[in-house]
Amino acid sequence: MARLIKTEKEVEGRYEEVWLVVEEDALEQWPAGPREVVGRPATRIDGLERARGEAVYTADLKLPGMLHTAVLRSPYAHARVSSIDLSPATTMPGVHAALGPDDLPQLTRECGFQGAAVAAVCADTYAQARAALREIVVEWEQLEVLLDPDEAVARGELVGEPRLRSRGDFEQGLAEADVVVEGEYRTQVVLHNSMETHQSVAQWLGDTLELYISTQYVWGIRDEVASELGLPPDDVRVVCNYMGGGFGSKNSPDDYTFIAIELAKRTRRPVRCALTRREENLATGNRNATIQRLTIAAKADGTLTALGGEYVNATGWGGWSSPVEGPMWLLYACPNVRTSTWGAKINQPPMKAFRAPGFVEGTFGLEALLDVLAAKLDLDPLELRRRNHTENDASDDRPFSSKNLLECYRRAEPHWERRHDVRACSTETVKRGVGMASQIWYGGGGPPSYAWVRVGSDGRATVVTAMQDIGTGTRTAMAQIAAEELGIPLEHVTVSLGDTSRGPFASISAGSSTTPSMGPAVRAAAADARRQIEEIAEQMGKADAPLAEIVSVLEDAQILGKGARGPNPTGMQVLTFGVQVAEVAVDVETGEVWVERIGAVHDVGRVINPLGASSQIEGGIIQGIGHTLSEHRLHDPRTGRILTTTLDSYKLPTIADVPEIVSELVDEPDRHLTNLGSKGLGEPPIVPTAAAIANAIRDATGAEVHELPVSREEMLRALRDARERERVGASAGV
Amino acid sequence: MELRRASSTTIEGTPIFGGTEVVPLLRSGILRPETLVDVRDVVPHGVEGTRIGAGTTLADLERDPQVPEALREACRLAASPQLRNTGSLGGNLLQETRCWYWRLNWPCRLHGGDECFAKEGEHREHAILANGFCASAHPSDPAAALLALGATVHTSLRSLPIGALYRLPTPDDRRTTTLEAGELILELEVPTPERSVYLKAMERKRWAFPLVGVAAARSGGSTRIALAGVAPVPWLLEGDLADATPLPRNAYKVDVARALLRRARAAVDA
Repeated sequence: MARLIKTEKEVEGRYEEVWLVVEEDALEQWPAGPREVVGRPATRIDGLERARGEAVYTADLKLPGMLHTAVLRSPYAHARVSSIDLSPATTMPGVHAALGPDDLPQLTRECGFQGAAVAAVCADTYAQARAALREIVVEWEQLEVLLDPDEAVARGELVGEPRLRSRGDFEQGLAEADVVVEGEYRTQVVLHNSMETHQSVAQWLGDTLELYISTQYVWGIRDEVASELGLPPDDVRVVCNYMGGGFGSKNSPDDYTFIAIELAKRTRRPVRCALTRREENLATGNRNATIQRLTIAAKADGTLTALGGEYVNATGWGGWSSPVEGPMWLLYACPNVRTSTWGAKINQPPMKAFRAPGFVEGTFGLEALLDVLAAKLDLDPLELRRRNHTENDASDDRPFSSKNLLECYRRAEPHWERRHDVRACSTETVKRGVGMASQIWYGGGGPPSYAWVRVGSDGRATVVTAMQDIGTGTRTAMAQIAAEELGIPLEHVTVSLGDTSRGPFASISAGSSTTPSMGPAVRAAAADARRQIEEIAEQMGKADAPLAEIVSVLEDAQILGKGARGPNPTGMQVLTFGVQVAEVAVDVETGEVWVERIGAVHDVGRVINPLGASSQIEGGIIQGIGHTLSEHRLHDPRTGRILTTTLDSYKLPTIADVPEIVSELVDEPDRHLTNLGSKGLGEPPIVPTAAAIANAIRDATGAEVHELPVSREEMLRALRDARERERVGASAGV
Repeated sequence: MELRRASSTTIEGTPIFGGTEVVPLLRSGILRPETLVDVRDVVPHGVEGTRIGAGTTLADLERDPQVPEALREACRLAASPQLRNTGSLGGNLLQETRCWYWRLNWPCRLHGGDECFAKEGEHREHAILANGFCASAHPSDPAAALLALGATVHTSLRSLPIGALYRLPTPDDRRTTTLEAGELILELEVPTPERSVYLKAMERKRWAFPLVGVAAARSGGSTRIALAGVAPVPWLLEGDLADATPLPRNAYKVDVARALLRRARAAVDA
């Protein structure tokens, strides 16, 4: 029965209260452990298609008569367009139309960051559009730039409201402590750098719009575009069948989509607007830099008595202030917590969600300082974390729907025990060590989400739902769930997705939510089909016959099942947990750091596809290694202009930087969560990587790194400081 | 822009071989030649004893046992396999700095302007030596190796020691090489040392320009040392690094260079 409920909806750690129509989730969960199909490794059902280059991504699309767009973006971090003349561009060869700031709300004269879109030209070829763009005459008035996040906060230049939060009595907690440690940590701006750059192809069919876009949320695009254009939502069809990565940066339509739509309208042609790699590295979002001033207070036995954090998110010209204080609030049982979080509005490109936004940065600071405490108390870092374990949300005593972090710690012990042997492999110049860090993040997904399952007389099934597979392998996971529920082989299931006009509403693919949101709906739809087939079987007097035999009588008739995602458990926090153990080597003379091994144990409820899951863990860890060691978007400190817009200057990790990765999942269904008991895994693996590496560096060398990335400069500084501490300590006779 | 194929070593226009450097510079508008001349037919390639054709790819050099260790290693640690399969040694020696201001076409001194933006700005990858006028760092690993090895360059016009191929930019002349317009590097004569080595510090394990590269070659009882990534040109080291003039954010390079120098000396003196 359909039910109207008011529920908290969480995406990327942000909650909102919403009214939802949901259906009861009447199915019992499957027993724990691998089933026939679910819980067993499956290669991607679209793997061959992708490897052969047959899968059509937005970037591959060529519609008849399609025009190409080049976008004029502000070269300055803060400037006003005092005059602009498009006319020289419109007479250039191949040009069909041009747009300026007066033509479209997404184009602006007031540019608060380098990369803000000002004008656009479409032409028969991209080269023609680019050549024409150079003919546009712009007069710029350059304005003062504000780049220092602390100064922005002091001046009250903020993005969003500051968050001042506390539980218990922080001062009292400090007074009760035997030891207090403090530290300032800084993280850098890093870029998503999806393989497929941000892009859209827009085509008007009469008054209805067809939009092909590389996106994490076809329904969100449909609604935002329809609302902006004043169209009925169903007059906007959004398609994204294959997608080349988003990592949080492709949740919304953005300037390029509205540019393509408007130019398509004016030219009555299909129009592509695709960003170049250089634009991608300016104008499509980033993980913003943070400053974290942290305090940890504890009893001599390691019991935490107070946690404090003053956080500044250098959000840029827009975006939102990510929950960088989240781990401090959720990870441990500490009764007294006080944090302030400020979003600094500076003349830099706006942030966007990036794989566990806030928690990656916050975990780095918190977990690194916790190891400083462990050293001060002469406690084993893993033991310190066990002693502060919590079984509920310490802020409001809400229970976690399931939590197997202690089991993660237990399974991580073999990795942790290697530290003695690893340290013993140190030489005079190369020191080796092991560090660990805990992981906490969201990933429960939620309603609404719907799926249909169609079974034909050939015994094959098609899952129909307008979700998207953003490259994570959810297409395969959904097929596994349907195959399991129907009792048919995986090869007999296909999945139709990525098209708002061909399937029901489906969840955003962000916040580790695709599998936990969509999986239960797909299972419910398959179960609905299975029930109908069983009813037919009963009428045929073949209650125990296999599905294929029963449906073979159907001819053109079809079994149509439908399913909806039920609600999340009320009064409970649905979170994911884990631990990573990093082994690193540090050349103490040259400051070179490299990672030699990472052991990862995560708890995300039931695992649908262990093969897909291990590749998600590896991807998260590799992205985490880049964040920790080499990636850094740099800007000129005087003008705010971006200096690293190409892939030779912005250093993603290469395969040579990737260590041995040993991953394991607890694979225990969350018995409170849906008919599957599965949580999401997209984000958890990147959360603890930086902190585990930083702690391994400390274990290897005694040096405390405070900044990401751990460049040669930062590593050599930390080593110098450690030597100085040792010298002062020795001369003081400590 | 016109593309021609060279039929002799006398050319008019901008030479292009593998294109791994020229094409990005064309795309970013830094090079705007009227004529591009494809010189792949006229520049010799291959290794014969101590002579190396300037058209030999880095990939071929890193594998050839006739090539001294320092040069092989400098090639192996440069760029990516794809780039090394395409780029020639001659082109590598003539590549421009990776200074982001220069690559982004800021009107800096190297582009003829009157300011070095890196000195007051972001310079963590920049020069620690001879950086008074321009703080750009020369990115070629093989150039440092050849400088330590004492190579001679044979061009279409003359022969010169490799050190004389490069010049520091000055207010009157911003060029970093001494090549005349249309002059092509054809061959290199690389003496065989008793021992040689190339060590490189970079920001990831592969496919990065040198923060610091150190080449050392020992011949006849003396050791020559040259550095990459520390000055606007490949740098022949005389004495130690006491004369280094690091900028506020790149003093770490002096420490890195000292450590690599000790190791390089130990390796060739052993």
